[in-house]
Amino acid sequence: MKELGKLVLFYRDIFRTAIRSKQNHRQIFQQMVEVYSRSFSTVVFAGLFVGAILTLQFQMVLADYEALSMLGGITTSACVREVGPLIISFLLAGKIGAFTAAELGTMRVTEQMDAIECLGTDPLEYLVVPRFIAIVNASILLLVVGLLVSLGGSVLVATLTAGVNPLQYITSIPRFAGMDVFAAGMFKSAVYGTIVAGVACHQGFTASGGAKGVGNAVTWAAIYTNLYIVLANFVTSQFLEMIGHLFGGGH
Amino acid sequence: MSTASEVAIRFDQVSKAFGPKQILEQVSFEIARGEIVFVLGKSGMGKSVTLKHIIGVMKPDAGRVFVEDKDLSALDARGLSGVRRRCGMVFQQPALLDSLTVMENVAFGLRSPEFRAARAADGRPELSEREIRDRVVEVLELVKLDASILGLTPPQISYGMQKRVSLARTLAPGPSHLLFDEPTTGLDPITTQAVNRLIRELSRKLKVTSVVVSHDMACALQIADRVLVLDQAKILAWGTIPEIRQSREPLIVDFLSEALESEAQLAREPVGGTAGPEVRA
Repeated sequence: MKELGKLVLFYRDIFRTAIRSKQNHRQIFQQMVEVYSRSFSTVVFAGLFVGAILTLQFQMVLADYEALSMLGGITTSACVREVGPLIISFLLAGKIGAFTAAELGTMRVTEQMDAIECLGTDPLEYLVVPRFIAIVNASILLLVVGLLVSLGGSVLVATLTAGVNPLQYITSIPRFAGMDVFAAGMFKSAVYGTIVAGVACHQGFTASGGAKGVGNAVTWAAIYTNLYIVLANFVTSQFLEMIGHLFGGGH
Repeated sequence: MSTASEVAIRFDQVSKAFGPKQILEQVSFEIARGEIVFVLGKSGMGKSVTLKHIIGVMKPDAGRVFVEDKDLSALDARGLSGVRRRCGMVFQQPALLDSLTVMENVAFGLRSPEFRAARAADGRPELSEREIRDRVVEVLELVKLDASILGLTPPQISYGMQKRVSLARTLAPGPSHLLFDEPTTGLDPITTQAVNRLIRELSRKLKVTSVVVSHDMACALQIADRVLVLDQAKILAWGTIPEIRQSREPLIVDFLSEALESEAQLAREPVGGTAGPEVRA
C-alpha cells in the first residue's frame, strides 16, 4: 500500500510536470521509435499466437453446438476486450518496463540525474515525461498492431483447422465486436500502458544502491506492473460493464 | 575570520542525522572566496553530506548554511536554484549522458531552462547556437581537451577524458563556486595528478571557490589552501597545510603517513606509464 501511495504521488508529479512544461516532441518521438523497435516483433509474434490459440479454444466449444459461424465474432471480442490488451501489456512490461527501469535506475545511481538537476534541468521533465508519454502512446498503437495480427492468426487457424470460410469469419465479427468493444480494448490498453510507463519510471527514478539497486528496480518494476495490470483489469472491466449498462447496451 | 563579503560559504552550527546515526553535529566553518578547501575524512563521516548541504539538495536538522550571505534554509525553490546555478558540482563519476555527444553534454547547462530564465531575468538575450559552441570549445580548452572530440559520445572516450568533459560541463555556465565530490576516485596516479593540477589551475584562473571532498591527503597537501577533517560527526581539524602537518591527532597522522607513502610511490612511477589510450576505437 505504501508503494502504491508513492506511485500515486509520482503520477501526480508526472502529470503536473507534463502540464507545466513545454514538451520536447523530438525526444518523445525518439522514445516512441525506441519502444517500437524493441517491441514490434514480439507483439507481432504474440499477437499471431494469441489469435490462433483463442480460435482453437473457441472452435472446440462452438463446434459442439454447431455454431462455428460465430467463431470470428466471439474470438475477436475476447481478443480485443480482454486477452489482447492483457497479453500485450505483459509483454511491454517485460520488454519496455524492464528496459526503462534499468535505464533510469542506472542514470540515478551513476549520478546523471543529480548532474542534470545541478545544471538547472528537472530530471522528471527531461527524462521521465518523454518516456512516459512515449510508452503510453506506443502501447495503444502496438495493441492495434497486435490485434490486427491476431485477427490474421485467427482467420488462418479457423480456415485451416475448422474449415471456416474467411469471409464468413470476418462478417461475423461486427455481431459480437462492435465499436464499443474496440473502444473498451483501447481504453484498457491506455490504462495498462499508463501502468507500465508509471511503474517502470518510478522504480528507475527512485533506484539507489549501485548495480544491486538497479537490479532491484527492474525486478520490482516487473512484479508491480504485472500485479497492478491484473488489478486494473478487474477495475476497468467493472467500470466498462457499468458504462455499458448506463448507456443501455450491456455488452 | 573573513569579512562577510569575503565569505563564500558558511556553516553555522549545522547538525544532520540519518535515523539514529549522527552525521554532522554542530559543525561550523567559513570558506573565503577563491579558496581551495579539501574536506577529508573516512567513509561515512559526512563529507558528501557537507557538499549536498552547500548545494541545497539536503537541509540541516539544525543550524544554517550560507552561500554568499544567503541563508539556504530561508530560500524558496527559485532562490535555491539560483544558488545551485552559482555552484557547479563535479560528481564522483563523470555522470555524462551516454546518448548525447560531448558537445551536447557540455552545452547541457547552457541550454537548461534555468540558465535561459536567469539570462532573461538579467535582460540578456539567449545564447545563439554559435555562442554555445564557442563557449563549449572554450571550456574544453580550459580542461585541456580539444574540439575534435565534440562529436564523440562518452563511451567513445577514455574515463579520464570523461572526467574532464564532466568538469567542462560544470564550468560552462560560469559558476562562482566549484564543488568536487571525490574527483580522483577510480583514476590512475598520473591522471590523478593531472586532475589535481587542473583543479588548482582552474581555481586560480577563474577565481572560483573550490570545495573538494576527498579521502586523499596527498592531493590535499598539493593543492589545498586549507583542510577540514571530519570525524565522528565533528570537525577534527581545520586549518592551513602547515597547521595540519603539525597536528598530533592519530587520524591525521595516519592520513599524513599515507600521503607520504603515495607521494613516494608516485615518484617511482614511470612518466605516463599508466595512462591508457585516450580515445577509444
